[in-house]
Amino acid sequence: MNMTSSIRATAIFMSPAALIAIFIVMPPLLYVVYTSVNGLAFSLDLYADVVASKLFRQTLITTFVISGISCFVSLVLGFVVALHLASQPARRRAILLGLVLLPLWTSILVKCFAFMVLLGREGVINSILSWAFDAHIQLPMILNRIGTLIGMINWQVPLVVLPILASLLAIDEAVYRAASIMGAKPARIFWTVTVRLSLPGVLAGLLSIFVMSLGSFMVPALLGGPKDLMLSNLVDYYSRQVLDWPRASTISVILFAISVSFAAPLALWRRSRRI
Amino acid sequence: MMPLPREERTQQVARDDSRPNGLGEDVVSAARSNRRDGSAGLVAKNRSENDPKYAIELKDISKYFGSLAALHPTKLAVNRGEFLTLLGPSGSGKSTLLNLIAGGSGPSTGSIFLDGRDITRMPPRERGIGMVFQNYALMPHMTVFENVAYPLRARHFDRSAIRAKVTEALDRVGLRGLEDRKPRQLSGGQQQRVGIARCIVYAPAIIMMDEPLGALDKNLREQMQGEIKRLHKDLGTTFIYVTHDQEEALNMSDRICLMSLGAIAQLGTPDDLYFRPRSRFVAEFIGESNIITGRVEGNGRMLVSGNETFLVPHEKRSTGSELTVMVRPERVRICGSAESVTTGENVLDGEVVGTAFVGGTTRVAIQCANGLHMTAKMMSDRLATRPAAGDQVRVCWSSIDTVTLDS
Ligand SMILES: Nc1ncnc2c1ncn2[C@@H]1O[C@H](COP(=O)(O)OP(=O)(O)OP(=O)(O)O)[C@@H](O)[C@H]1O
Ligand SMILES: [Mg+2]
Repeated sequence: MNMTSSIRATAIFMSPAALIAIFIVMPPLLYVVYTSVNGLAFSLDLYADVVASKLFRQTLITTFVISGISCFVSLVLGFVVALHLASQPARRRAILLGLVLLPLWTSILVKCFAFMVLLGREGVINSILSWAFDAHIQLPMILNRIGTLIGMINWQVPLVVLPILASLLAIDEAVYRAASIMGAKPARIFWTVTVRLSLPGVLAGLLSIFVMSLGSFMVPALLGGPKDLMLSNLVDYYSRQVLDWPRASTISVILFAISVSFAAPLALWRRSRRI
Repeated sequence: MMPLPREERTQQVARDDSRPNGLGEDVVSAARSNRRDGSAGLVAKNRSENDPKYAIELKDISKYFGSLAALHPTKLAVNRGEFLTLLGPSGSGKSTLLNLIAGGSGPSTGSIFLDGRDITRMPPRERGIGMVFQNYALMPHMTVFENVAYPLRARHFDRSAIRAKVTEALDRVGLRGLEDRKPRQLSGGQQQRVGIARCIVYAPAIIMMDEPLGALDKNLREQMQGEIKRLHKDLGTTFIYVTHDQEEALNMSDRICLMSLGAIAQLGTPDDLYFRPRSRFVAEFIGESNIITGRVEGNGRMLVSGNETFLVPHEKRSTGSELTVMVRPERVRICGSAESVTTGENVLDGEVVGTAFVGGTTRVAIQCANGLHMTAKMMSDRLATRPAAGDQVRVCWSSIDTVTLDS
């Protein structure tokens, strides 16, 4: 295919996305940016103000801590699940993968309420424990950091399983046989072959769930406590409670910039691998 | 997919060995007690029992997948330093046999001895065997150097030893200077050379190659055949080589083990297999052949259709019993009607029905008067002097070129 026709083909395929971006996504985004810099005055005072504020800094740290921990745990869990799936016969794998993906097709709101029922002070788990130990047990598993992490990990695991599984399945089985014939012990094979060759999937999965976690709103709002506010919740707080829209816009733009700074390398890296 | 831990592997072996008449249990326990003997200090006894003059000895080894016999109980002894080729059509059990030796899967019955040591239940990594794969099976994320160093690192060699050995191995296969390339930056032939270097670098007692040249084009294949043969001569290691290309097998091997339907059809030198095939399968698989069936008539004669009698080598079978013989096409001569025929030769009249000019040789198909269909092969002549379809000819062959087959 020559250069011009490939560009034209790309243009044709891209145009609906481009149109949507230009007419539907961009205007509100631009308006938010416009608001955050105080319109045509183009002042960055609000940014300086927000960055200096204690509440913002605290929330930023919380956001990174919750995202970091939940992504790490999800990665470990997802890796184990992907390893198991990869070792299954194809049919069984398809069924199991369906089960893994099931939560993804359920609304996050529904899942959060389900977790309230399960993890609440008088919820299913505490009731069972109370019954089993014949005591009134009220483990605090909701409206705190634990609840937030559980809620986050719940939606992250399926997303991280997929790319890791793809990487694992792409490993030539003969490589394992070769390694063991050449004298490598299972642990060495695991590190030098399994883990090493699944790294692209691990990286892709990790970055995508991390970027998505940064913008989490529902889980910390429903399952977290006052100390688990994340940046999106702060935006919500300023826009709906305090009605300080410029400040809400400023925080939104900062959050957006942080997300892009993590997502861009991923996109570039994917493109470089494809070529 | 995943390398299984030891216990699971043994379990899996036990599971997929659904063998007939429960033979396996005895063998498994026999193998276990054998090993216990060995560790109890009876190594010497073990040695004398299982003659260590063989590099590899397979005793009634078999492999069943459910009711399918991928390998029937088979005996095979490979001499030290020998180049043995497993040859056979697809699905004849060549890879199965190789995998049993490598330890990729456990046998359903029987035991395997490496240098007189029972290795039947030993995990692959402890066997000290080298293997070259058809699709190379290189580590895609490692450089050439790291690939070749892999078995040495697994054996905890120190840095300088690794560098020296890897360099020597790469020298042997002619890949010096490409140490830092990744496998995908190499041609197929180069990748296979890495596979070979990675295998010879730790000086395994046995080197096995499963169709190593299968993915290469013809010219490169011939060149690599020469290189592998030279390597075998230089190293003096026992080679077990798998191919389904008979020319490759004839060209490279000390002995060929021809397999069919999960059993050995014939084991012998390339000469044996070509000039003294035992069965019709061997005769037809290796080279081309004219098969003639008839009945023994005694006195070194056989009776074929059309009441014709042929001279054949002397035959112990009783008169009247069925007889199958084989003549190689290059041993069949086409002679003019005037040409005289020496005694001891069989002669038939016939008509040329087709010729195939394939370069150095020409194959001529002849429909004989008694209904027999013969193929003759000769050095090519120019078109004008080559036999042409429709020519009336006489074909003749000597009784000493006739080989009696088992069935
Ligand atoms: N894991 C398995 N499960 C079931 N059947 C198998 C398995 N591996 C091999 N077989 C069967 O065992 C028989 C021998 O297979 P094998 O791979 O040894 O053949 P081969 O001689 O190497 O053939 P090719 O030249 O095609 O490589 C075949 O009929 C094959 O279908
Ligand atoms: Mg095979």
